[in-house]
Amino acid sequence: MTIDATYLLQLTLNGIALGLLYALIAVGLSLIFGVMEIINFAHGEILMLGAFAMTFALPVLGLLYWPALAAAILATMLAGLLIYEVLLARLRTDEFERSILITLGLSIILIHTAQYFFTATPRMVDTQYGFDGVEIGTIRLTWTRLIGAAAALVAFAGLYLTLRFTQFGRAMRAIAQNREAALMVGIRPRVVARNAMILAAGLCGLAGSAIAPIQLVTPYMGQFLIFKAFALVTIGGLGNIPGAVVAAVALGLIESWVGGFFASAWQEGAVFLVMIVVLLLRPEGLFKRGGMRVG
Amino acid sequence: MSAILRVSDLRKSYSGIHALDGVSFDVEGGSITGLIGPNGSGKSTAIDCISGFQKLDGGTVTLGGTDITSRPAHLIARAGLMRTFQTVRVYDRLSLADNLAIAAQQFDPAGWIDEFLRTRRYRQAVESSEQRARQLVELIGLQRYYEAETGILSYGQKKLVALAAALMPHPKIVVLDEPVAGVNPSRIREIEVALQQLNRAGETFLIVEHNVEFITTLCHQVIVLEQGRKLTEGTAAEIHTDPRVLEAYLGITPEMAAAEVRGAA
Amino acid sequence: MKLAAALLAALAFAALPVLTSSNYVVGVGISALIFTAAAAALNLVYGFTGLLSFAQLGFWGIGGYTAALTVVSLGGSFWTGLLAAALLNAVIAVLVGYPMLRTNRHAFVISTLTFALLVTLIARDWVSLTRGPLGIPDLPAPQAFGLLFDTPRKFYWIAWIFSVAAIAFLFALCSSRIGRTLVAIKQNEPLVRAQGISPMPYKLTAFALSAAITGAAGGVYCFNLRIIDPSFLDFYYMQTFLIIVIIGGAGSFWGVIASGIALSALPEVLRFSDDFRMIIYGVILVIAMFVMPSGVAGLLRERRVARMREALR
Repeated sequence: MTIDATYLLQLTLNGIALGLLYALIAVGLSLIFGVMEIINFAHGEILMLGAFAMTFALPVLGLLYWPALAAAILATMLAGLLIYEVLLARLRTDEFERSILITLGLSIILIHTAQYFFTATPRMVDTQYGFDGVEIGTIRLTWTRLIGAAAALVAFAGLYLTLRFTQFGRAMRAIAQNREAALMVGIRPRVVARNAMILAAGLCGLAGSAIAPIQLVTPYMGQFLIFKAFALVTIGGLGNIPGAVVAAVALGLIESWVGGFFASAWQEGAVFLVMIVVLLLRPEGLFKRGGMRVG
Repeated sequence: MSAILRVSDLRKSYSGIHALDGVSFDVEGGSITGLIGPNGSGKSTAIDCISGFQKLDGGTVTLGGTDITSRPAHLIARAGLMRTFQTVRVYDRLSLADNLAIAAQQFDPAGWIDEFLRTRRYRQAVESSEQRARQLVELIGLQRYYEAETGILSYGQKKLVALAAALMPHPKIVVLDEPVAGVNPSRIREIEVALQQLNRAGETFLIVEHNVEFITTLCHQVIVLEQGRKLTEGTAAEIHTDPRVLEAYLGITPEMAAAEVRGAA
Repeated sequence: MKLAAALLAALAFAALPVLTSSNYVVGVGISALIFTAAAAALNLVYGFTGLLSFAQLGFWGIGGYTAALTVVSLGGSFWTGLLAAALLNAVIAVLVGYPMLRTNRHAFVISTLTFALLVTLIARDWVSLTRGPLGIPDLPAPQAFGLLFDTPRKFYWIAWIFSVAAIAFLFALCSSRIGRTLVAIKQNEPLVRAQGISPMPYKLTAFALSAAITGAAGGVYCFNLRIIDPSFLDFYYMQTFLIIVIIGGAGSFWGVIASGIALSALPEVLRFSDDFRMIIYGVILVIAMFVMPSGVAGLLRERRVARMREALR
């Protein structure tokens, strides 16, 4: 088999776009874990909500991409706030297993409620861009993909600046590094946790609304993605945000390359196999967690 | 008397800071030895390293002539060194009887096949373990809680349970990590009496403690650590008047200490 | 006392096919028995040892496929199929369990989930082994002593014998020194180590035995369905086992058995649409985690401890 350079480049670009998408989900999970030491099993359903919000907002807003995206992100941030206030705020730290079971229950409720109301039929989403795109040589990229990737990059830059330079970001890092010390200097962990949850939900909502025009939208779309994201945050070292980003982009590339040359089963199994190998060699994940590092 | 526990040249550092910088000491069999020092002097690190809960960077630990350096914690326990923890650890949701039985079960010869077949070996092991447990429970004065879950006990009572559990398998030495920290002062005396009684019965103790009075009443020999090194070592009386100790540990002069002792008496 | 009650309940359950003429009720009874055994196995790892394992779903699937393939591809009997399912699962559990248990408890949960998903992928995509999405239909009815267990009524006995045997085995294990040590590991691992006990062999044993029983349960269940396909690995089964354990009370042996019997009947009683039923499951799970995180048995236990505390004051 000769490897066509254009084909390879196309795979690579697709891989990066896919990886950025994974990163949006994984970073949120990592953020929540860093601040609250819990895993949000319903995170994939936030993504699903974002995608459905996009689906419903687009026709209302005359297929305009940006206003619909903003509306969807706001909707998911609101969902994040609700989830925190109603469920997660009641958890103490060190209730990891309980957090999983509670959010698992929430995930079941959200998936089946969505299926009950919206049915399991996959939906296509049309935007103002339709299937238009740019062509560079023989490589073709649709606008929706490009914008999705660009929005993810902007989101990461924003997240980096937030964590690095704002009061809220510093508080979040402080809690992730040393909860007791953070309490003593007057940081209120509940406020920080709530903000972290809203931020994580917003990132996930961005991911959901960005893929809505690219993929089919179904109630189950979040489930498989989130399982991959769990594997990613474990590979990257739980609670380690840059670790999660690196692992996510690497996975996107690996999946895209593997998918280009092997059967799709290998593509989907890749992340899990990688994770098992990583945990065998380094039980703490690739990038051991020393508090939440930024940059 | 000969040294049952011999620690030489312990070294341990965390990211460049020397928590232990060549600490050596012996614990005589049948003695009560105290290990004191100000906060951050390395005493907790020392016993964590000795008992296998932290990895040593260097040095050797021998127990009754056997080298136990850097063995995993459970093998050090099996070799005969039992320890307690600074923040009390008991099995809150098991009965006092079970708490003590578990502490001894690894040390009897009965395996799961013996248990399944209820062999004589198993019955004997259970019987002797129960006998020992009743003895120890009587000593710590918690007879009426024997069948109760330890979760309902007070903090001080749990410390006594932890002490009894450590003694269950007739260890060569028991290392107590701050046995009276956080214990109601009226109970401290009880613990003191129990330890003296046990020591007369032949048990060896190494005690890490903050409470200087407790240490000086109990211990035959006291080792003082400061900044990861051994500052001095001697009998309780010697330590109590050593100006270096007073300065390092209490930050006060001998005159002030004397005044304090008079005040306490 | 509890043991006597359990024996009575087991005998009463044995009489079910005699008491009812409805094949439907017998079918529900079969599911109740098998799910209860699988939930009891999950209780061993989660309730007793404190390891939240999603790998159970994978073991359930491997067990089902192993039993089915032993019969269909290798020409073995149903019984050798069950044995193979249990043994293969135990071996796999030891192999994957060791690296998983070396990680921290967070990574453990996620890696067990990953394991279950990998098994799902294999069931769907390794077509030459599992026959892919089409599955393996027309599994033959089990045979023993010249009897053919070809109706639900007859199959009920197999499910009954299997469940009673599995539950009896688990009970013997949980009430032994090994069971007591598992509880101790869950409560305070450093203390266990300080008492000369290495936690790893115990955890691995619990994980492997639980895998073997879950696998055998999966084997029995797929011969009840008479077909196995990738939907056998639906996350629904994992959720069912979890809910049984949580409502009954993780760590309470008889609490989980009782809730297994009660809750397996529940989805049949609440005969709403599938989605509505799952929504109710989710709501039950969330509410239970807040109102009674240690289940019904936990509530009863708390009252007992409170009385004891009062009495010893």
